[in-house]
Amino acid sequence: MSFDESFDVIVIGAGHAGCEAASAAARMGAETAIITLNLDLIGQMSCNPAVGGVAKGHLVREIDALGGIIGRVTDRTGIQFRLLNRSRGPAVQAPRAQADRALYRTEMRHTLEATPNLHLRQGLVIELIVEDGLILGVELQDTRRLRAKAVVLATGTFLNGLVHTGRRTYTAGRAGEPAAIDLAEGLKQLGFPVGRLKTGTPPRLDGRTIDWNAFEPQPADERPVPFSFSTESIEQPQIMCYVGHTTEVVHQTIRNNIHESPLYSGQISSIGPRYCPSIEDKVIKFPDKPRHQLFLEPEGHDTHEVYLNGFSTSMPAELQQELVRQIPGLDEARVIRPGYAIEYDFVDPRELSPQLETTRIKGLFLAGQINGTTGYEEAACQGLIAGINSALYVQKREPFSLLRQDSYIGVLIDDLITHGVDEPYRMFTSRSEHRLSLRYDTADSRLSPLGHTLGLLGDTAWERFNQRRQRLALLRATMDAMRVKRGDNLHTHLYQTLGCDLDNSPSLSNLVQRHDVPLSTIHHGLPPTLRTAVSLADVESVAADIIYSGYIDTQQSANERLYKHDGLLIPTNFNFTSLSSLSHEMIHRLERAHPQTFGQARRTPGMTPAALATLLVRLKSPQAA
Amino acid sequence: MPCQAGSPSISAVPASNTIVALSTPPGRSGIGVIRLSGARALDFTCSLLQDNHFSPQPNSVSLRTIYDPANGEILDRALITYFKSPRSFTGEDMVELSCHGSPILLLHIVDALLHLGARAADPGEFTLRSLSSGKINLAQAESLRDLIDAQTHAAVRQAARQLGGELSVQLQPIKDSLLKIIVPLESSLEFVEDDLPPVIAERINKQLSDLVQCVEELAQTFRAGRLLKEGLRITLAGRPNVGKSSLFNALLAKDRAIVTEIPGTTRDSLSELLNLQGIPVLITDTAGVRASSDKIESIGIERTKRAIADADLVVVVLDSSIPLTSEDQDVFVEVGASRHLFVFNKSDILSHTYQDGSLFGSQAPVIKVSAKTGAGLNDLRDALLQPFMRDFSFDGGFLITNARHFDLLQRTATSLRASNELFQQRASEELVLAHLYNALNYLGGITGETTSEEVLSHIFSTFCIGK
Ligand SMILES: Cc1cc2nc3c(=O)[nH]c(=O)nc-3n(C[C@H](O)[C@H](O)[C@H](O)COP(=O)(O)OP(=O)(O)OC[C@H]3O[C@@H](n4cnc5c(N)ncnc54)[C@H](O)[C@@H]3O)c2cc1C
Ligand SMILES: Nc1nc2c(ncn2[C@@H]2O[C@H](COP(=O)(O)OP(=O)(O)OP(=O)(O)O)[C@@H](O)[C@H]2O)c(=O)[nH]1
Ligand SMILES: [Mg+2]
Repeated sequence: MSFDESFDVIVIGAGHAGCEAASAAARMGAETAIITLNLDLIGQMSCNPAVGGVAKGHLVREIDALGGIIGRVTDRTGIQFRLLNRSRGPAVQAPRAQADRALYRTEMRHTLEATPNLHLRQGLVIELIVEDGLILGVELQDTRRLRAKAVVLATGTFLNGLVHTGRRTYTAGRAGEPAAIDLAEGLKQLGFPVGRLKTGTPPRLDGRTIDWNAFEPQPADERPVPFSFSTESIEQPQIMCYVGHTTEVVHQTIRNNIHESPLYSGQISSIGPRYCPSIEDKVIKFPDKPRHQLFLEPEGHDTHEVYLNGFSTSMPAELQQELVRQIPGLDEARVIRPGYAIEYDFVDPRELSPQLETTRIKGLFLAGQINGTTGYEEAACQGLIAGINSALYVQKREPFSLLRQDSYIGVLIDDLITHGVDEPYRMFTSRSEHRLSLRYDTADSRLSPLGHTLGLLGDTAWERFNQRRQRLALLRATMDAMRVKRGDNLHTHLYQTLGCDLDNSPSLSNLVQRHDVPLSTIHHGLPPTLRTAVSLADVESVAADIIYSGYIDTQQSANERLYKHDGLLIPTNFNFTSLSSLSHEMIHRLERAHPQTFGQARRTPGMTPAALATLLVRLKSPQAA
Repeated sequence: MPCQAGSPSISAVPASNTIVALSTPPGRSGIGVIRLSGARALDFTCSLLQDNHFSPQPNSVSLRTIYDPANGEILDRALITYFKSPRSFTGEDMVELSCHGSPILLLHIVDALLHLGARAADPGEFTLRSLSSGKINLAQAESLRDLIDAQTHAAVRQAARQLGGELSVQLQPIKDSLLKIIVPLESSLEFVEDDLPPVIAERINKQLSDLVQCVEELAQTFRAGRLLKEGLRITLAGRPNVGKSSLFNALLAKDRAIVTEIPGTTRDSLSELLNLQGIPVLITDTAGVRASSDKIESIGIERTKRAIADADLVVVVLDSSIPLTSEDQDVFVEVGASRHLFVFNKSDILSHTYQDGSLFGSQAPVIKVSAKTGAGLNDLRDALLQPFMRDFSFDGGFLITNARHFDLLQRTATSLRASNELFQQRASEELVLAHLYNALNYLGGITGETTSEEVLSHIFSTFCIGK
């Protein structure tokens, strides 16, 4: 078989998964090509142009700590930064930023083009070339054949994509872009179990037709918290977003026309994400709610387009226009692009190893929405893991994976490959049993050493990491040692503000454990040289360590008790049918999930404690191996 | 169903699938039950009976002769019960052989079955199979052990209740209320940008305190449950010759202990099981306490002291036919802080009486009886249970009998209390939630885990989430 070009790694798709995968593989030294339908749409945000939020922001931080790119690109193109949950504990705080959609694309493309070993190719992949269960390369619609030792498939919503607007349906990967039909059929022929999911997006409005005064402004943070540990400051001018609400009038119109919605006419049967419901769903499922919240988010500095967040719909276009006009403040508003729903194929992720390699075809990795997830951050982190492992695979190095207790990325991948998905999978902090130790501000201490070993973290970043680590250690030591005594300025200040006397000369660390001493006061009370060396954010990090340490210890011991057998390995050729006393259903579930550890078996949905006890008894008995 | 010994479809099943075990404690009685479970249970039974056409009705009993398949010798006459899959304890085909044989003969029969291809069951394997066929859950499996050990009728009823999954049923509303508290807290921090109804502090507070109370009440039933399961220990103590042994015999309604007019008749403690209103009571007669130089008697008196220390209730026996002596006083000193009551025996000869709460400065009740005539014995029986009445809900309510369940419920309550405290201090939600999830996990130790997916499902069905 002849090939036009040959690479170590080929990444198919330049969405959020594909960009991370290609960047990582190339920077780890693999000759990498990224093939995508349209090079002008690299890093296109299909839906809301926003990155981060609770749990998702954690993922971005983790990607950045490992040496990924999404955080840096967002920092350079973000036009509204907000730290969510600022009033709550640091474990659940997370940055969210709205990006300038066009700038983001440009910046992402620029980042890829500046990466050595990375080659951009435009084209539509129509076939995976596979021989004897081994990936050999890909074939493009334009007849080119590209050879590769490893392939990362990151095609997002494009596999057999079908767009719905009212009763009209058409094949598309995203509005205005073709679907990947041949590739989807090819995957089925290769034997991959394929399912169907659905998602949707709201209409975009012409900003010049909006009565902005009718909405409540929502400003960006004054002190924006960047995603990347390497970002010193946010340079983009920050914009204002606006909050508004639907009314009963809107709801009534929706109810009157519900038969027009493909979601309710029976035209769409695939499952969409429950946490991103369409406005039809909101109105029908929560009939008692008198109004639903909407966000008006300008899409960028140089455009009038405004994203109507909270109003995802697949109603017919003219009805969308009518509904929009019933919203107070949007009486004159015009729809630029109507919203739509899209159905697409995904591959059952229980096919995958913790490295995201398929068990069916060696050298083939899957990442992103193709695995049943939703969201840019969820896609990006998988891209990173698949990219890293494709390079390691080509270089015949040890595979790389992350643990649940060390990262949300580990949680996400473990959930995917053990549970599979029934609906588009999104990250939530509650999915982790280690939430208190997976803070966004500790992503670097958890993951940067790994990124450095992999060769993804440059010298500058590594040095910055070490400096931060030392700085925090010094700060912690000082806060433990420094006591506030009567007569000190700080003592007097606290006495005046708190109105109570501080007995036993508490250390700064002791003070942090009270709920009422502001951290800026602590920062202020530090010895002058240290005060200038550390930022308030550093103080917040150390304070969080102090506040959580007790919990983390007790939680760890509780988790150890509950999950103490989780590490028990299940031999690769373990025969679940040999568990004679297990019901067929349990055996079936286990065989589908093919857990590699007892922990994965424990988390397999529907497992009864009894079945687990049986499995455990077997794994612990000498004849298990 | 006719037996299909040797038919290929059955012998294709791996032999190790059918398990056998002696399921009565070895050597305790002349009757022994051998259980078989698995696809070939009936098949093996046919071979033992030397009858390939043996096809009993499920759940019915037949009396048959058992032969040694090796040499055709008669081993025993046994009652054979067949339970057809899936309607058996393990969910598989099961056969129970109730034999009269001696322990040696029973082992011989088990051996024969092993030879035929059955496999000796691992400890608890019947229960494990029952667990995994979904016949019973973990909580049920644990109470099954209790059923086997149950000593009286009330205890049997209690064990049977847990077997019915009632514990899981009892815990379900607790788990539901816990989720109702978790949902708004979790949502408020996970879905910051959604416009959710505000968390109402007083409501959460109230829900949490109610829940703590509920869990604690359930945990409290453990004392009563344990009494039901393990029984009460009651020790009869007193100076020599007051009539302890006579009273012991009278309560048991049999001539168990030696009674003579010689002081110091009883030399060693003696215990018997007594059923008091369905509660198993282990009653102990002891050697009379006095200063003694006799070696055997001194050892006996030491044992009396131990029996006093071990008792849930000490009955201080006194002789009402003569005035109290300094020896009676010495006995009371021995009883010390142990829960006790006083019995004035020999009321048939009666002369000295005392009011309740007037003896040795103790508040304990005083009962008059005659071991000889039986007068006052019913009063005594009631008085024996009286101190424990508070622990029992004699309406036959649900009781926790398993120490592990008790432990988990207590931990649940502790976690809930900790979360409430934090909540009242206005600590951040993730800390409050850390304790609430611990509580959920502890409950999960009894009923099976609640996954984060379940929690999320509750959130999505409660609130309109998402942009
Ligand atoms: C209509 C819509 C609504 C959405 N709504 C939400 C939402 O509400 N919330 C949310 O979190 N997420 C939403 N998303 C999902 C979010 O956009 C995706 O999760 C994310 O973009 C997935 O990233 P990805 O890298 O896996 O794929 P994508 O970003 O979809 O990128 C796929 C890439 O693959 C390329 N490609 C596909 N097939 C081929 C081929 N055969 N040959 C070459 N190149 C190919 C495409 O050109 C594209 O560059 C929505 C997506 C869509 C389309
Ligand atoms: N009249 C009368 N005699 C009793 C009664 N109870 C016991 N006696 C007599 O009291 C004597 C002692 O009885 P025991 O039951 O052996 O007394 P004890 O307390 O066990 O004595 P020690 O074993 O020696 O400690 C015997 O002669 C009994 O017959 C009673 O209720 N009425
Ligand atoms: Mg006696």
